[in-house]
Amino acid sequence: MTLLRHAVRLVVREPRRTLAALVGVAIASALVTSVLLFGAGSGTTVTRRALAQVPVDAQILLSPSADAGAAEAMVHADSAVRTVEPVDLAHFVSAATEKAGTATQTSAGVLVGIDPSYSAATGLFELSSGSLAAGMVAVSRDLASNLGVAPGETIVFSLPGGGSASFQVSGIVSIGGADVLLGPIDAAHRAAGANPPTNVAVMNRGDLDTRILPIIPPTAVVADAGAPTSAAAGQPTSAAPVGGSPVAAAEPAVRRELHVQLDHAQLPGDPVAAQQWLDQVRRRIERQAAGAFSVIDDTSASLQPLAADLAWGQLLFIFLALPGIGLALALSRLAADATADATRRHAALLRARGATARDLQVVFVGATIATAVLGSVVGVIIGSGLSLGLFGPLLMSAGVGQALARAATLSILLTTALATLAAILPLRAQLRDEVVTGRREVQRDRPALWRRLYLDLVALLAGAGVFAVVGGSVHPVLDPEGNPTVALAVTSFIAPLLFWLGGTLLLLRLIGNVMARSGGFTRTLGRLLGPGGELAARSLQARSTAASRAIVVLGLALSFATSVLIFDATYRQQQRIDAELTLGADVKAIPSSPAAANAARNALGAGIAAASPFADRVVYVGPEAQDLLAIDPATLGSVAPLSDVFFQGITASDALATLRNQPDAILVSAETAKDYSIVRGDRIRIRVPDANGNLKPIDFHMAGIALEFPTAPKDAFLVANLSYLVAQSGNDRISFVLARAGGDVGSAARHLATRLGPGWRVDDLATATARLANSITSVDLGALVQIDLAFAVLISATGATLFLLAGLAERRRELATLIAIGAEPGQIRASTTGETVVIGLAGIISGLATGALIAVALLQILAGVFDPPADRPAVPIDLILGMVASVIVGLAAALAIADRGIARLGVVSALRER
Amino acid sequence: MTILRCRGVTRRYARKGLDPLVAVDRVDLELSEAEFIAIEGPSGSGKTTLLGLLAGLELPDEGEIEVLGHDLRRLSRTERARLRQRRLGLVFQSFGLVASLGAGENVALPMALARIPESERRERASAALRDVGLEIAFDARIDELSGGQRQRVGVARALAAGPAVILADEPTGSLDAESGGLVLDLLTDAVRRRRIGLVLVTHDPLSAARADRRYRIRDGHLAEVGAA
Repeated sequence: MTLLRHAVRLVVREPRRTLAALVGVAIASALVTSVLLFGAGSGTTVTRRALAQVPVDAQILLSPSADAGAAEAMVHADSAVRTVEPVDLAHFVSAATEKAGTATQTSAGVLVGIDPSYSAATGLFELSSGSLAAGMVAVSRDLASNLGVAPGETIVFSLPGGGSASFQVSGIVSIGGADVLLGPIDAAHRAAGANPPTNVAVMNRGDLDTRILPIIPPTAVVADAGAPTSAAAGQPTSAAPVGGSPVAAAEPAVRRELHVQLDHAQLPGDPVAAQQWLDQVRRRIERQAAGAFSVIDDTSASLQPLAADLAWGQLLFIFLALPGIGLALALSRLAADATADATRRHAALLRARGATARDLQVVFVGATIATAVLGSVVGVIIGSGLSLGLFGPLLMSAGVGQALARAATLSILLTTALATLAAILPLRAQLRDEVVTGRREVQRDRPALWRRLYLDLVALLAGAGVFAVVGGSVHPVLDPEGNPTVALAVTSFIAPLLFWLGGTLLLLRLIGNVMARSGGFTRTLGRLLGPGGELAARSLQARSTAASRAIVVLGLALSFATSVLIFDATYRQQQRIDAELTLGADVKAIPSSPAAANAARNALGAGIAAASPFADRVVYVGPEAQDLLAIDPATLGSVAPLSDVFFQGITASDALATLRNQPDAILVSAETAKDYSIVRGDRIRIRVPDANGNLKPIDFHMAGIALEFPTAPKDAFLVANLSYLVAQSGNDRISFVLARAGGDVGSAARHLATRLGPGWRVDDLATATARLANSITSVDLGALVQIDLAFAVLISATGATLFLLAGLAERRRELATLIAIGAEPGQIRASTTGETVVIGLAGIISGLATGALIAVALLQILAGVFDPPADRPAVPIDLILGMVASVIVGLAAALAIADRGIARLGVVSALRER
Repeated sequence: MTILRCRGVTRRYARKGLDPLVAVDRVDLELSEAEFIAIEGPSGSGKTTLLGLLAGLELPDEGEIEVLGHDLRRLSRTERARLRQRRLGLVFQSFGLVASLGAGENVALPMALARIPESERRERASAALRDVGLEIAFDARIDELSGGQRQRVGVARALAAGPAVILADEPTGSLDAESGGLVLDLLTDAVRRRRIGLVLVTHDPLSAARADRRYRIRDGHLAEVGAA
């Protein structure tokens, strides 16, 4: 107990020693806490982003006798429910059409009856062309292709029970995102990853209820509900046999449903907790149903892969912050060096009072642990405050109490253990020195083991080897339900870790070698800073181990911040490119009534630097419906992101030039070129809707292959000259105007909306959803970057301060001697300035270089999660310069602290010290 | 000719909760060219504080100190530093050598601070080392030298810049009798041959006995005990 009392007394009575040690631990603990809390907060982002893409959270399947109106009112009354939309579905056995005496038939599919408000509420079944007129149907592109039908033509649907109904086609409808809703409702079918129907016809719910449902027997079921439904176009097929699957329950031929959207603001952030909340809501609604309906969950398929993805994402975040944690702990070591004098003084005092070597160890280790615990707690408080300030709302919804408790416990345990270890190693040497040899003025080190074994080069070579084997192994994959998830291997992080370790050690070796070449180094600093510069060079050489350590701390702090900055900038660049590809440009204006190409001119004005008209027509290549993107080649290049990698065999500018100079030129997707064996120069006849919706054949000549194109679907599409299309088809309607913002995108969108008026809907990049949103790409790394950056600057400044203060502590008598023999205050200042400049320059240059290399390695490894992959890393020069400037300010502060220490040095008393 | 003069010099140090400690109390002292003064006193009597005041490392709270006609209180820190570089030589009990420099570099250090060209300071440092019998030790590392040799390097450093006054704080305190005697010989020789003024602070009566005048200091009070 007495020894422990001494330990506590050491903590209290040596406040500078305690403070120096505490700073390093507190920084480490704050960083760990912030990163862990960021991970918890990112869970909210990931969960919300995943569920934002789910158009309907739950399907409520009404029993045949249920009162739809009463059920709708009951469900709507639940506090978690935001919208309820009634939907009726009826399976058809086959669909057929007859043109010019030739009958074409396709296999089974689904008739969907919706209310006019449904598409606006859910974003599903949006029209690609035409309209959804009363008494008519809008058909999916597959159904149109399979039957070769276009708006105006008629389809006959054969229904279960032998009845049939015919409808005229009034439009083409997109069924994207509706897979789960159209597919089987039976859990066994869903779990097996059943294919949803692609032959889909959408009509007004009233039409379905009056013209279809009455002629389907109430007990009719669908056989093989999950089997592929598309059949080769033009191939007559027989109706699928009616009967149940031996394993899965038979699907009813008619379903009356309520599609429910929940209030996502009430969702817990953690995917598991979110699923529990959704289950609670489902059970609560079901309890009221009393058999009138059952609730089918449509969210679990999206939530299930998140927990695992999130774990990998958090691993990435921790990896991005790991160097910072290591560096902050290295500060503990520097702090121990800086306070070695106080340690020796106190040890000498205790020995004078009869303490044994073991007693000393108990006292100092006890004090080290006490300081580490105290520092960890301080760090947890700082880290929590920082996190709440940066992403408080996300944390609140993630369950702030639990997240804080978990982060605090982990952080205190981890940093206390590591900081104690980091501080005890030099402590042992200090106590041994005190007991055995007394104070040494200058420490002369023999080469460290890693130097003799060349572990730096070994680590770098091993990293290169691992990178060559597993580099770029991270890819998004689709799970059985079709949700993107990330296939990530732990080995993916080994290469960057080895690079980091090898780079650090190599840096230490090179710096040591440069400093060892004393002549040139001393002369250079002497020329630059006079006698003070020579003193700085001598001092750095004498303390080359400590100087190398400080340079490495600074270099790696900058390195990890640089790598995080470059990674984040590239990550944002790719998110933006993805969003731009989806949206088409910075801003997209969609007319609600017919508009012509000259509307693009009206778009120009405040906030908009360039605008281009764009028409997306559903056309027919043979029997197959495809998107024809008709563009203005003269203006599109200035508004849309066109990269050379979007085209095969030609550059982006060549593609646009060809479309401009050769009006009948057409670019086709790789899939179309392959399917139809089209090569450059071939004539292609395409049926294009005229102003009245009638298909008109127009000839084009194939001019090249487009792999990607703004707004284009992933598979088959065509790109042609808008003027030529308008002239040939007589249809001058455009689908939208793409525009490039002159400055802030949001502000440009608002200006454009005001200018175009209420007849236009204006979307911008902020409102566009990236097509590929997996756990890694959906998280906003901004807060993590801010945390890492702040800590990098803090670590750099603290590292330099501790190095300079350690220099003061180690060289008190030497500095006093220098002053006594005539060193001027300016020369002493030049000496510390020289040391700081050398450490700062070496740290900054090496940090930027290694940071860039690590960022490139990380991007290579994670290239697969971006779509499209990054051409090259984005380097945020302004942020990097800002970071370097902040580090320089931090170094200047460190210098000022050191100068103050020198000014307060008691020269006479220091000269008296032995 | 008087080269160093103190009049009523007092130095106090503040102490928490206690009256200030008067380390040097109204001291009067004069040193002439080619004169050797010894100041004796037990530990804590104020010897080193007085020497620090004479060197301009600290300023007195009261009284005045004049070195080579310069009132130290009127000089800036930089001017006092330059005075030490060029006109004062200091010798310390624990040698005060910079361990990262060689013997020759240590001797040349005050000249480097005074911005004397490298070739000239090298030449003068070699000469100073020759004068103390260590001409072969120019490139030697400090930790390769014995205690006596280190202190001779310290004396060479004090003499190399051509000072008018040498202030020596217990220069023989860490040495055996033979080495101590040798160091003292070097210092007295410099006084006689170079007409340098020497203030020697010591608690060793035998060393003090070689001085022209002897003073005793106790509790900050300085009193002359007689001429040699």
